Amino acid sequence: MSETEFGPAPPTGAPILSVIDVSKSFGSTHALRGVALDLHAGEVHSLVGENGAGKSTLIKVMTGLYRPDAGHVALDGHAVELRTPAIAQSLGIACIYQEPLVFPDLSVSENIFMGHTGRGRLVHWRDMDERAGEILRQLEVDIDPRAVASQLTVAGQQAVEIAKAMSRDVRVLIMDEPTAALSAHEVRRLFRQVARLAESGVAVLFVSHRLDEVFEISDRITVFRDGQHISTKPAAEVTEVSLIRDMVGRELSDFFRRVPHEPGEVALSVEGLSRAGAFENISFDVRRGEVLGFAGLVGSGRTEVAEALFGVRRADSGTIRTDGEVLQISSPREAMEHGIAYVSEDRRRLGLSLPQSVAANITLPGLRRFVSRWWLIDRNAERRAAEVYRERLQIRTTSLSTPVGVLSGGNQQKVMLAKWLDLKPSVLIFDEPTRGIDVGAKADVHELIGELAEGGVAVILISSDLPEVLAMSDRVLVMREGRQMGIFADADLDQERIMMAAVGVE
Amino acid sequence: MIAEQDLPAAPSRSRRSLLEPERVKGLTLVAVVLATVFIFSVVVDDYLSARFVSRLLIAISITALVAAGETLVIITRNIDLSVGSMVGVAAYLTAEMLAENQGLSAPIAVLVAVGIGTALGLVNGVLVAVARLPSIIATLGTLSIYRSLLTNHAGGKTISTGSLPAWLIDLPRSTLFRLGRYDVRTMFAVTLGIAVVLHLALQYTRGGRHLYALGSNPEAARQAGLNERRIQITAFAGCGALAGLAGFLYVGRFGTINVTAGSGLELAAIAAAVVGGVSTLGGSGTIMGAFLGAVLIGVLDQSLVRVEQISEFWRDAILGALIFIAVFLDVTVGRRLKERARRRAIDEAREVEHG
Amino acid sequence: MASWARRSTWELVLLVILAATVVFNVSDSSGYLSIDNFVNLFQLHIEKIIVVIPMAFVIIAGEIDLSVASVMAWSASVLAWMYEQDAPLVLAVVVALAAAAMAGLIQGWCVARLGLPSLVVTLAGLIGWRGAARILVEDRSIGDFPRWFDQLGQDKLVGPLPVSLVIFFALFALGWVILARSAAGRVLYVIGDNAEVARYSGIDVARARLALFTTSSLVAGVAGILFAARLGTVRGDMAAGFELEIITIVLLGGVSIFGGSGRMSGVFLAVLIVLNLRNGFGLANVGGNTQTGVIGLILIGSVIAQNVIDRLGNRTRAPGAPTAAGMPDPAQAGAVGA
Repeated sequence: MSETEFGPAPPTGAPILSVIDVSKSFGSTHALRGVALDLHAGEVHSLVGENGAGKSTLIKVMTGLYRPDAGHVALDGHAVELRTPAIAQSLGIACIYQEPLVFPDLSVSENIFMGHTGRGRLVHWRDMDERAGEILRQLEVDIDPRAVASQLTVAGQQAVEIAKAMSRDVRVLIMDEPTAALSAHEVRRLFRQVARLAESGVAVLFVSHRLDEVFEISDRITVFRDGQHISTKPAAEVTEVSLIRDMVGRELSDFFRRVPHEPGEVALSVEGLSRAGAFENISFDVRRGEVLGFAGLVGSGRTEVAEALFGVRRADSGTIRTDGEVLQISSPREAMEHGIAYVSEDRRRLGLSLPQSVAANITLPGLRRFVSRWWLIDRNAERRAAEVYRERLQIRTTSLSTPVGVLSGGNQQKVMLAKWLDLKPSVLIFDEPTRGIDVGAKADVHELIGELAEGGVAVILISSDLPEVLAMSDRVLVMREGRQMGIFADADLDQERIMMAAVGVE
Repeated sequence: MIAEQDLPAAPSRSRRSLLEPERVKGLTLVAVVLATVFIFSVVVDDYLSARFVSRLLIAISITALVAAGETLVIITRNIDLSVGSMVGVAAYLTAEMLAENQGLSAPIAVLVAVGIGTALGLVNGVLVAVARLPSIIATLGTLSIYRSLLTNHAGGKTISTGSLPAWLIDLPRSTLFRLGRYDVRTMFAVTLGIAVVLHLALQYTRGGRHLYALGSNPEAARQAGLNERRIQITAFAGCGALAGLAGFLYVGRFGTINVTAGSGLELAAIAAAVVGGVSTLGGSGTIMGAFLGAVLIGVLDQSLVRVEQISEFWRDAILGALIFIAVFLDVTVGRRLKERARRRAIDEAREVEHG
Repeated sequence: MASWARRSTWELVLLVILAATVVFNVSDSSGYLSIDNFVNLFQLHIEKIIVVIPMAFVIIAGEIDLSVASVMAWSASVLAWMYEQDAPLVLAVVVALAAAAMAGLIQGWCVARLGLPSLVVTLAGLIGWRGAARILVEDRSIGDFPRWFDQLGQDKLVGPLPVSLVIFFALFALGWVILARSAAGRVLYVIGDNAEVARYSGIDVARARLALFTTSSLVAGVAGILFAARLGTVRGDMAAGFELEIITIVLLGGVSIFGGSGRMSGVFLAVLIVLNLRNGFGLANVGGNTQTGVIGLILIGSVIAQNVIDRLGNRTRAPGAPTAAGMPDPAQAGAVGA
């Protein structure tokens, strides 16, 4: 840490909210080590850093969910004790999360005013609906204040969250990955709403992994790494390269670049695949030994296509063929029987059983193969199989019987990959395989994908990390809002062209 | 970039009110109750006699009160299996007190019964909200604990009609007013009044909305600064209070009270709530819905014995089937309605985007 | 590791409690340590502890089955009714078991295919199957079974052990092996921890749940028939309220109400504790109702105690407590059947 520690001179006047030397530990993990951050009225301040940098811990400290071990939060220069979320909110600190935290059964206006309905014991519905309508109009959204929240889209629910913050006379608005589930159009609108809030004097803290958005929206950018404050600079003084350098702590070496080689015959062929409300008319082939990238913004329907191929949710129409044979896939089990495997993007929710051991997780999809006489699990065979992957993927764990839950994110991700490799699939779909894992683990995953393709596996790589997709793929299919915008190969494999297709710029 | 506010907002409004799930549920239920009564009146001679209706109304009062209490708890995404025992304890202790002090006035007796119920409900609430027990475990436990405490206290004694003050014995026959040839019993009127007040309170007071908010999304409720513990404890205590009041009515209705009083009422109450459209997922359902559920169950319960081909032993089987059908319809039809609404929202968003 | 530590800590606690109950029983009665007394101890509650085995499976898989006691009565009533209609008793037994399995199949179908919360489904079952039993036997008490049937409940089969005890130990051993060593057991744990992970791993979760509830009811049916044999008569209200003690034993045994963890060793200790307590109560002349009350206290106490141990073990629970077994999980409710 150098001269950047306290950042450049604040844009205007004194900060509304200051985080001063805050530290927070969980057991032996130091999530935050003496970090500082200033938020000024009217500024949009971005906070970036890799997973584990301490961003979410800081948010929880600022919203009263965690209490710092050392240091404090100051509001208008006075130290405040944020003992509960209610206190933080009463002081004008609000937070919007990636997944909108709405009351699905309640009306929009109730969602907006819950917890601060006004004075008295009674709820004045008409009054509340009117006030809610007013705020929503300011946000340029056409949402009926009386509609039930569960019937809104994610973007609509997010707008309700922003309306909620506005209704509370918010002074500090924290936005934690708010754009992850939005379409391009919805992101635009969100940014306009944020800009309007900032104009009215609100201090906005914007936390995102999407650097292009960070550059677009920020006045200042702060970088955290390993629980420490690294830098705070005006956005104009920051370049993508310098930002990434601050985040990873070293020069970004070139991506692992896969050496493409002649692919074999078609392993998976998809024609006219559609599901209402999710994706329509998707057609492509993947050959053995080939990596087909799936590019597009989050929410463009890539995961939904993968889920249809894997039998999680059936497509309404279209055909799926493996090795020329038309398949009717209605469950993951059937997909697996045809050699299709899917490494999901959501490790905790869909990927791993955290209390179960490393070995048990690895052998889960192919458990049948480890069943010996009388339906019992052959533990030695299981252990041997797990050991192979522990070495091959360099999974760092004290033992194979350790619960997966205690491993680090990167190692959990490797366990998840091992789980599917052990099935020896002919088509392997990776969904965001490197999201949220550290640089070292990332390189390991890239290397593994290369090896798999070389070994004759047909790989589909879904990733929102465009350089990653470009470096790893032979061809790239681009999706936007559920539609296939084209398949790019050879000379067309160009970051700008793909991005333009993904955001819909002609 | 087009300005969204130019789009007409009216269509979404009118469509919403037609398919509002609460309203659909309520109307369906009213229709089912009427249809049931109609069918019975065709099958059974002189079905709607004044005597029968009076008996029916009294029977419904007790279940409906307990069901209203159960609804408070279910809305917060919990369940209370101990209501039957709470009714029993309140009924027995109140009857015992009245038997020993004939001179006690009605308001005091009611107060005692409600107080006992509230205290027991508070215990449930504390177990769930403070000790963090899943409500099914906490109340399955207190179901037997309360009953066992009562049995130990009573030691097998039965309090008979003879030892109770006359005003209490006459309570079931007390009539508020007459409607044609039918008597509207005071007990029923009181229950209906309480249900209406409670229903409105849940819709129009902040505390009522907090119950829904907590049940709808506990995490969001915490974030909104709602006091989760207080809300849960209030719901359980309220459930206990209503069970206590039901206990008082129980004494009036049966006169003879032993230690098994109120056993199994939890099943009828939960059935009434669920049949009345209170979602076991928490966050939705109304008191009047539960009340209608209790009416339907009461009608079936009291009427089946009068159908010659069916024995009284069919009662429980039908109750079980009723809960099952209600949950089945709620989940399948409700899911379909929601899915349709969601798709429409997506389509609208699309139109905006492409338009 | 945390869960391992918790489990062994809890089993240690159970051992201490067990030792205390045994010491109390021994000090109170000299005949306590005889084999006959032990057999008697098991025999008195054998039907309940048989159903404890499938209940452990159900709760580990993140569900709950409140209908077991009613299914016991249902199967016994089917048997008695058939016998009353002059059907051969062997046939009656077979039909009764089939009727129990059917009850489970229906409930399982609702949970597995329709995605209804098992708490509500089996609550409907609790009322419904008891009601079905009542339709068959009404308020009669059906008895006068052939001698061989009554002997099923009392006669010694292997050494001092009667048939029902042999069935219990066989089932228990089977349950133990399934949970600890078999693929099916592994699958149950994963489903209980996170059903979506199981589904995304190619496991047919619906079929597993269907099998789970069918087995639960089938075993309850067996227990109901054994109960009929031991009592010699069948009544509509038999076994009422048994679910309380059955669930209590499972949770006392360290099976998490949130699903995904628990072992048969702990459950076995819990069985022994409850049997010894019951015996001790008998010796101390404590009435049946008080006993039930104490069981309720144990249920609440054991879950609180395990919560406390969890907290002492410095396991910070994620905000938004996990969904208790059988309680509706809104996150999943929407996904099923979509």
